[in-house]
This record gives sequence, C-alpha cells and structure tokens, in this order.
Amino acid sequence: MGGSDLNQPMLKPVLIKRLRDFFAPVPALAWLAGILCAVLIEYQWGDALAVALYLPKVPPLFGATLVLKQPLLFPWAMLFVCLVYGVPIVLIGRLTAGPANRAAAALGRMPVWVSVLLHLLLLYIALHIWTETSDYRLQVAKLIMIAVMLTLSLNVINGYMGEFSCSHPGFMALGAYMASVFSLLLFKADRVFGAPVLPEAWGPYFFPLALAAGGMAAALGALVVAIPSFRTRGDYLAIISLAFMFIVKSAIENIDAIGGPRGLGGQPHWSTLPAVFAGMSLCIWIINNFVRSTLGKALNAVRDNETAAEAMTVNTRRTKMVAFLFGAFWAGVAGGFYAHEVRHVTPGGFGIQNLAEVLAMVYFGGLNSVVGSIVGAVSISFLSEILKPLLLYKWIVIPLILILVMIFRPTGLIAFRDFDPRRIVGPRR
Amino acid sequence: MRKWTTALVVVLAVVLAAGLIGCGEKRQATIKIGINAPITGDIPKVGEGTKYAAQMWLEGIQAAGGLQVGDKKYPVELVIEDNEAKAESAVKANTKMITEDGVLAIIGPQASKQAIPAGGVANDYQTLMISPWSTNPDTTKNRPYVFRGCFLDPFQGPVVAKFIKGEFGFSKAAVLYDVASDYPKGLAEFFKKAWEEINGPGSVVAYESFTTKDTDFSAQLTKIKDSGAEFLFTPQYYNEVALIVKQAHELGFTQPIVGSDSWGSAETVKLCGPDCYGLFFSTHYAAAGAQGATKEFIDRYQKKYGYVPDDVAALTWDSIRLVAQAIEKTGGLTGDLKKDRQAVRDQMAKIKDFAGITGNMTFTEEGDPIKCAVIVRISDKGEFEFYKQVCP
Amino acid sequence: MAFFMQNVINALQWGSFYALIALGYSMVYSILMLFNFTHGDIFMTGAYIGLGVATALLALVAALGWSLPGWLLLVATIIISMFITSLLGVLVERVGYRPLRSAPRASAAITGLMIGIILEYGNLALLGTQRLSFPELIQTTTYSVGSVYFTNKKIFIVVVALLLMVGLHQFIQKSRWGMAMRAMSYDFPIVPLMGVSLNLIAPLTFAIGSALAAAGGILYGMAYPVLDPFMGILLGWKSFVAAILGGRGSILGAALAGFLLGFIEIFTTMVFPSTFRDLIAYSIILLILTFRPYGFFGQAHSTQLRL
Repeated sequence: MGGSDLNQPMLKPVLIKRLRDFFAPVPALAWLAGILCAVLIEYQWGDALAVALYLPKVPPLFGATLVLKQPLLFPWAMLFVCLVYGVPIVLIGRLTAGPANRAAAALGRMPVWVSVLLHLLLLYIALHIWTETSDYRLQVAKLIMIAVMLTLSLNVINGYMGEFSCSHPGFMALGAYMASVFSLLLFKADRVFGAPVLPEAWGPYFFPLALAAGGMAAALGALVVAIPSFRTRGDYLAIISLAFMFIVKSAIENIDAIGGPRGLGGQPHWSTLPAVFAGMSLCIWIINNFVRSTLGKALNAVRDNETAAEAMTVNTRRTKMVAFLFGAFWAGVAGGFYAHEVRHVTPGGFGIQNLAEVLAMVYFGGLNSVVGSIVGAVSISFLSEILKPLLLYKWIVIPLILILVMIFRPTGLIAFRDFDPRRIVGPRR
Repeated sequence: MRKWTTALVVVLAVVLAAGLIGCGEKRQATIKIGINAPITGDIPKVGEGTKYAAQMWLEGIQAAGGLQVGDKKYPVELVIEDNEAKAESAVKANTKMITEDGVLAIIGPQASKQAIPAGGVANDYQTLMISPWSTNPDTTKNRPYVFRGCFLDPFQGPVVAKFIKGEFGFSKAAVLYDVASDYPKGLAEFFKKAWEEINGPGSVVAYESFTTKDTDFSAQLTKIKDSGAEFLFTPQYYNEVALIVKQAHELGFTQPIVGSDSWGSAETVKLCGPDCYGLFFSTHYAAAGAQGATKEFIDRYQKKYGYVPDDVAALTWDSIRLVAQAIEKTGGLTGDLKKDRQAVRDQMAKIKDFAGITGNMTFTEEGDPIKCAVIVRISDKGEFEFYKQVCP
Repeated sequence: MAFFMQNVINALQWGSFYALIALGYSMVYSILMLFNFTHGDIFMTGAYIGLGVATALLALVAALGWSLPGWLLLVATIIISMFITSLLGVLVERVGYRPLRSAPRASAAITGLMIGIILEYGNLALLGTQRLSFPELIQTTTYSVGSVYFTNKKIFIVVVALLLMVGLHQFIQKSRWGMAMRAMSYDFPIVPLMGVSLNLIAPLTFAIGSALAAAGGILYGMAYPVLDPFMGILLGWKSFVAAILGGRGSILGAALAGFLLGFIEIFTTMVFPSTFRDLIAYSIILLILTFRPYGFFGQAHSTQLRL
C-alpha cells in the first residue's frame, strides 16, 4: 500500500506514454475508419441502445448537454458515448492500423491532394451519417464550421500579422449582405428585388459564386482598413478597424433597398452540410498553405519587426495588403454561409458582441496557429452550447475559463502551429 | 492504488444506481411547450419577463393537475432555452426544442431579430410558434405555422395619429425613434404615413432617429424644438422614454409627448418620475385601470416577483394561454408529434375572440391578431389611467 | 445662432463623458502600453457603486435627521465611489493584467474584455435585470439665455470633468509619481531598473483610471439617470477610439479627442439626418487617422508589439 503512494507521481506519465506508444502506429486513415464505424453503429443501433440505457434519445452532443439539465442521466450518456464512440474508434482504429498504414503508404506515392481528398471524403461521410440522426446536431455542426472559418481568417490578421484588427464583424456583414443580395436578386422572388432573373433550380450551382461575391465585397471593404495600415500600425490600426466596423453597420442601416435596420431575409437555405464542409475544408487548406508559404513567413517578419523585414527585402506593403484582403475575403465567405444558414441578417447582428466572441475564439485557441483556431472555435462554440442551462452564470463561467487559459498559456491553447497535410495523411511507423 | 479503484467503483455504482432510480419511473406522456427567450444578451429584462410569465402559468396548470385535453389530463413541462438575443442562437434553440425535446408548440422569441429567423425554422418543421412581442411583418408572412401575440404597427400608428388630431387638433408633428430597432422604426413609419394623410405632406416637421443604446438625444431634441413641432411622438421602450422626456424638458421643450404600447411598463414612471405625468400613450391594457383577469394577472405577478409586469410578460401570458387553448381544443392528442402539432396549429388559426388580458384577439390569415387599443394617460400620481378605447 | 449654441452645450456635456472615460483608457495605454478593455465596464460598475453610495448616504442622513445640502452629498458620493472603484481597478490589474505582463499585449486585452463580461453578468446576477434609476441628489434647475437652455447639472458635469482633467494633468506633470509614470511611458523596460517598481506604478495607474471612470459614471448617472449593466460597452469602445486618437503618451490629447468625438457626434446629427450619425462621425475619424496616422499628439514611434 505504502509503495503505491510513492508510485503515484510516476503513474500518470507512464500510463500516458504507454497509451501513446500503443496508438503511435495508427494513421489518420485508421482513425477515420473507426469514426466511420462508430457513427454507423450509432445510426443503426443508437436508438435501441439509448432506450436500453434509460436515455430519452440519442444524446445529441455526446451527452454534454445533459450534464447540467439532467445530471442523473449523465452517467448513462457517458456509458452510451463510450460504447458507441469510444470502444469502436479505439478498437477499429488500432486493429486496422496495419492495412491502413499500407494503404496510406500507397496513397503517399500519388500526389498529395488525392490522399487528402480521400481523407476528407471519408470524414465527410462520417459527418454526414453523424448528423443524419439529429437536425440539431446538424445545425450545431454547421454553425461551428462557419465559426472555424471566421476564426481562422481573423487569425491571419491578428495572429500571423500581429495587428489588433476589430473589423471582422464588419467584413462578415459585408460578405453576408453581398451574398444574400446576389442570391435574392438572381434566384428568389423577393419583396425588394422582384422576380428572379434565373430559375431557382440553378441556384445551388451558383452558390459558390454568391459566396465569392460576398468574399470580394469584404475584401474591397478591407481596402479601407488596409491602406491606412501602410502608414500606421498597431494601436492606431485597431481604432481604424473599429471605426470601420461602426461605419459598415451604420451604412447598411441607411440603405433601405437591402432592408435597412430591419434586415434582409428570405435567403434560400443553401448552406447545406456538404457546402459548408467543402467551404471550411477549402478555407483551412488554403489558409494553411498561405501561412506556410513565403508570403506567410513574410507576415511573421512584418509582425516581429517591420523595419528589419523591410531591410530584408520583404515588401511590407504588399504583405500587409494581401493579408488583410485574404483575411477579409474568408470572413466574407463565412458571412455568406451564415446568411444562407440563418436566413435573416440584420446589421445589429454584426456588432461588438460578435467581435468579442471571435476575438475570444482566436485567443483561446492560439495565436499564429491554424490548429489553434480550429480548436478555439470548436471549443468555445461547444462550451457556449452546453453551458446554456446555467443561464446568466454561463457568461461568468466562460470568461473565467478564458482568463485562466490566458494566464497559464498566454498565447492560447495551441499557439504557433500549422500542419503539414503530408504528415497527417501519411503512414505511421 | 487499490484504494482509489475501490472508491471509484463505489462512486460509479452509487451514481448508476441513482440514475436507475431517477429514470426508473414509468414515462408518462407529457405536453412540452418550448420557451425561446433572450435570458442573456443585451435585453435580459425581456427574457426574464418571458420566463416569469411562463413559469407562473405553469404553476397554475400544475395546481390544476395538468392540462385537460379531451378526456385525459396531461402533465405539462416547459422547455426554456436561452437565445442570447442572437439570431443564430434563436435558430439553434428552436431546432433543438423541436427535434430533440419534442415540444408541441413554441412561445417566443420576442424580438424580431430573432423571431424572423426562428420562425423560419418552426415553419419548416411544421410546429406552431407564437412570438408574443415581434411586430415585424416578416415574422408571420407566408408562414402558416407562425403567429404573433401583439398588434402590428399599421394599426397602432393611425390610432395614435387620429387620437392626437381629435384630442388636440395639432397639425405639426415630430417623431423621435430608434432606427436600429424594429418596433420603433416600423411604428414611426406608419405614424408618419397616417399623420401625413390627415394633415397633408410635410406635416411631420422633424423625423429624427438615434441608435439602440444611445442615451444622449440632446442634438435630436434640439432639432425637434427648433422645427416648431406641436408635439413629439416617440414609440420607444421605457428606459429610453425616461431619458427622452427628461432631456426634452431640460432643453425647454414643453409640448406634449406621446408614446405607444412600449411605454406600458411600471418602470416608465419609476424611471421617469414627475416628468412623465400627464402624458398619453396607446397600449393594449392599462395597469392602473385594469379590471378582471388583467388585474388578477398583474396582482399575481407582482406578488410573486415583486414588480408590476411589463407588456412582454402580459403578452407572453396571453400567448401561452392561446397555445394552451389551442391544445385543449384539439380534443385529444394522438401521441404522434407530427399530427398533434398540425392539429394544434389548425386549432390556433380557428381561435375567435380570445379573451386575453391584453385585449380580445382573433387571428387573420397571416396569423396576426386583431385587437383594440387603449389610450392611457399617466396621472398626476404616476398611475396609468384609462382614457379612451380605439378599435380598428 | 441659438440653435448652434444649444448644440455646443449639448456637445460639451456629451464630450465630457467620452473625455473622462478616454482619460482612464489613455492612462493605462500610455503608461503600460495595454488596452484596458475592462474600462467601459469599470465605468458601469462605478455608476452602480455611486448609486449604492448615494442611496446609503441618503439613508444615513435621513436616519441622523440632518439636513445637508444636495451638492455636499453629491461631492461625498463622488469621492467615496472614486475610492471604492479605484480598489476595483487595482483588483483588475492584479487578476487580469499582472500575470500577463510578459505575454502578448493582445492576450492581456482579452483578459480585460473577459473581466468586463464578468462584471456585466455579475451585476445582472446580483441586482437582477431591472434598470435602476439614479437618485436625484440635486434638484434640476433649468436656466435659459434667449432660447438656449441649460441646467445646473450640465454646468456641474462639465465643471467637474474639467477639474478632474486639470487635476490629473497637474498630478502627471508636477508630482514625483507623475514623473515616474511619464518616464515609464517614454521607456518601459528601463524605468524599473532605475528603482521605480512596476508593481507600484501599474496598480496606481489602474486606480487613477478607474477613479476617473467612477466619477464619469456618477456624472453620467446624473445626466442620464437610467442605469443598466451593458451601458459601458458602447461608450467604452467609443472612448477607446478617443483615447488612441489623442495619441500615445498624451493624457491631455485623450481628453481633447474625447471632446472632439462628442462634438463630431452631436454636430453630424445637427447638420445631417440623424440616421447618418455613426456613418459620418466615424468616417471623419477614419480620415483624420489617414492623414495623422499617429493621432493628435502622439509621437511617431514604431509600436513594437511584444508578441
């Protein structure tokens, strides 16, 4: 007995190391197979299992929503999650590691995009089956993916370039309105714009165009912030961007053609799961490549020391311009997705509250980090969803968590990390 | 080591046993009603009123042993979801209540910003939703499953315009409203239209606006005073009313100030004080002169929560009773949610002359109620006195 | 002319609030190089503390049966609340900013933002959702010159705001503490090596800033007597604009920029339709910054973000 107490501090690292060694040879492909299996199990037998475990329904978000509402049910939900997700993912992941590694190696000989696409396809199928069981789950998943895009695009400016930009809600609003106007004008009989120009059935094929239009509008707006940033930076830029946000909100309120302060509604429901998933994947892929490119490194150089960067032949103006337009573009695209998911946008919805949320996601997840942005957006959205039963106290708990994270990890949970897709999809030892 | 394992096993066993006992009860068919309220976010007061009114209603039902539908008494459960005063949260909350919690009908969201997108969701899932407070026409437009509990702006604007013309005979009006908020903007527009129909174009001599959360209206009020307006119409919420009236008086504006149903809160007088005495506004009900069910509601609410309910609470109370009546009228639930929701919606559309505490209601095709308005004068003791009734 | 003068008076009052809040922002910003996003909410808390102190004082005076003049109570309220709120400022510095001194500046800004949210919702949880009305400590008297109207409160507000500004300026320019602060704003890393403890200067800066915010909050409560927990957000962000617009290292610049912002907002409403207020007012700010990229009084410097 006494000995075991002595061993206590050693126990954890040893256990973790063992687990790590155990799972080290599992490639992404095998994990995906496990996930696929788990969601299939849930799809097939989830309801029956839920009934057997006294649950009213399949827990929509891994039972997390039950913790506060019906704590007595929570152990059962945990058991459900273990049985449905934990066991299959671990078992199948580990068991198929061998063949999956060989498959990954074979894929590795092809161009990298083939392998990445295959992985994404598998992930999408898993996600599709997972969201099939519950529309609530589907909606939460979609909104989280939109938040990921938004966070990532802000991280380009605030993290990689090191400015403190407050204009993101403005960019998002520009994108949301532009994309809405595009789709309402062309495809929808609307009070404001009259009869549609093109048949509505064509609409979904033109959705990427609508999104691109939204992104472009946001990028155009970003010029207003980017050009002054040549002469000034840091703190002055923060208020330029803040002023920009107020200007966008006020400008939209004054254009009655797009609904003014009452907002613009009736957008077609085009933000389907495949569309949002494709948008997010593309966004992550492109931003990840962007920050790993020479231009991305130039961004870091500008952030760390502008004068030195200039001396080292970095074209600071071009770098800043590109980063701003790039970040704004993706924020605009995210806004377009948002508008076609919620299907009603008001200028008041893109304000300071929104800004505080995006900032929280970026700094919680980690500065200068693609992985961190994903983690930040997912975890803050998730937290905010499961803590809802706390009502007012939710907004005391979430800030407290954020403050603690900031104190113990000042640059955020996973800072300074982007990923190499080759390593992720590649085989393990 | 073993000690810990034992402890863990014991804890788990206890929790599981508790869980077993907790869920061991036989599941009974309950009627679930969803409440989609802005409990956090920038209008927490609205959320609180919604929640309190709904809970007070539930208490009454529970005391009666449940809701009588056909020959069976069903226990009722409220599913209260916070929409954080955000559009996407309201949409998520509606989806969750409809698909996960299996509610029969939804009350809320209150503000149009959330009610329009959330109404889309309710309509898609063919579930009855009634927004007690949203005045934007888009909330119910082309949505057979969405209703509202308040009257629309096109009605109230002319009521006020006619009342002022008849009462004072003025011909020059000034309007001050919040451009970023749906209700004041709509009402201001309809008032302007109605006034100009009566007095000819150009008779609204000052049409000034501000933005939500503004507190200084001195520049707008200076302009209004300078325009020579004979009275000021300001369809604002009570917190702004207090500021507008006080600042107007400080700037030497002594003409009457007239308001709309959003003034109808006890807080108006509490915050505004003697500055508001003698002013008129149109509303659904007058708290001071209230009689019968209205008075009963106000007294009960005040006793329970310590303050006089505002219009949100009263409208929520009516809405939830409307829903209850629709459920009762179905004459029996099948247990199949889809069918029951349809039945409830159909009964809702058929309701005629519902005796609500905010007036009698009948729904139009669009799901908007038709009801009478009351003109109220704030007495010199700070009470709301019934002055006149105006019906469409 | 009367119309114009009336708006000048309006703008003076409105600008006083921006200026008072901007001063607090500017203190922390100039001396410690931090964005203190809690400041708007400290302003809100200060107003509520003022409400509590005023109510307590009124009750005390009534209990003792004294009859004190209103302005005396008001001054007492302001002084006591400034003191209590400055303690809050010190607490915020200790909890939210000191642990992050070596972290990126933006991270500290985020903790500030979060403490602000906690203050807002803590207030809601504590006092409920009802809006509270600020007690009338002095009776409103309206004076008029021609057709220009002003009240004794407006005069009081502007005078107190100006007094506080002048007082702060004297403190920064003349006292030894002020000298330390100015030194800090010139060269942040060196001053602690000269024997001035950062752990003393930083809380002091926060305390002074918060005290000013509290004074602003009470004056605000007098002018706009409806308090709500979210009242500091918009005012805070706008004052933040004013503080930076004033220029780094210039406390007086912040105050002037605050008044300027007030004047811009009121005068755009005067000239243009009021729906265009924010659009035009902030476009003007944007233009100013395009041509004076370092604010009014700020020296051109390369802000090295400590990332």
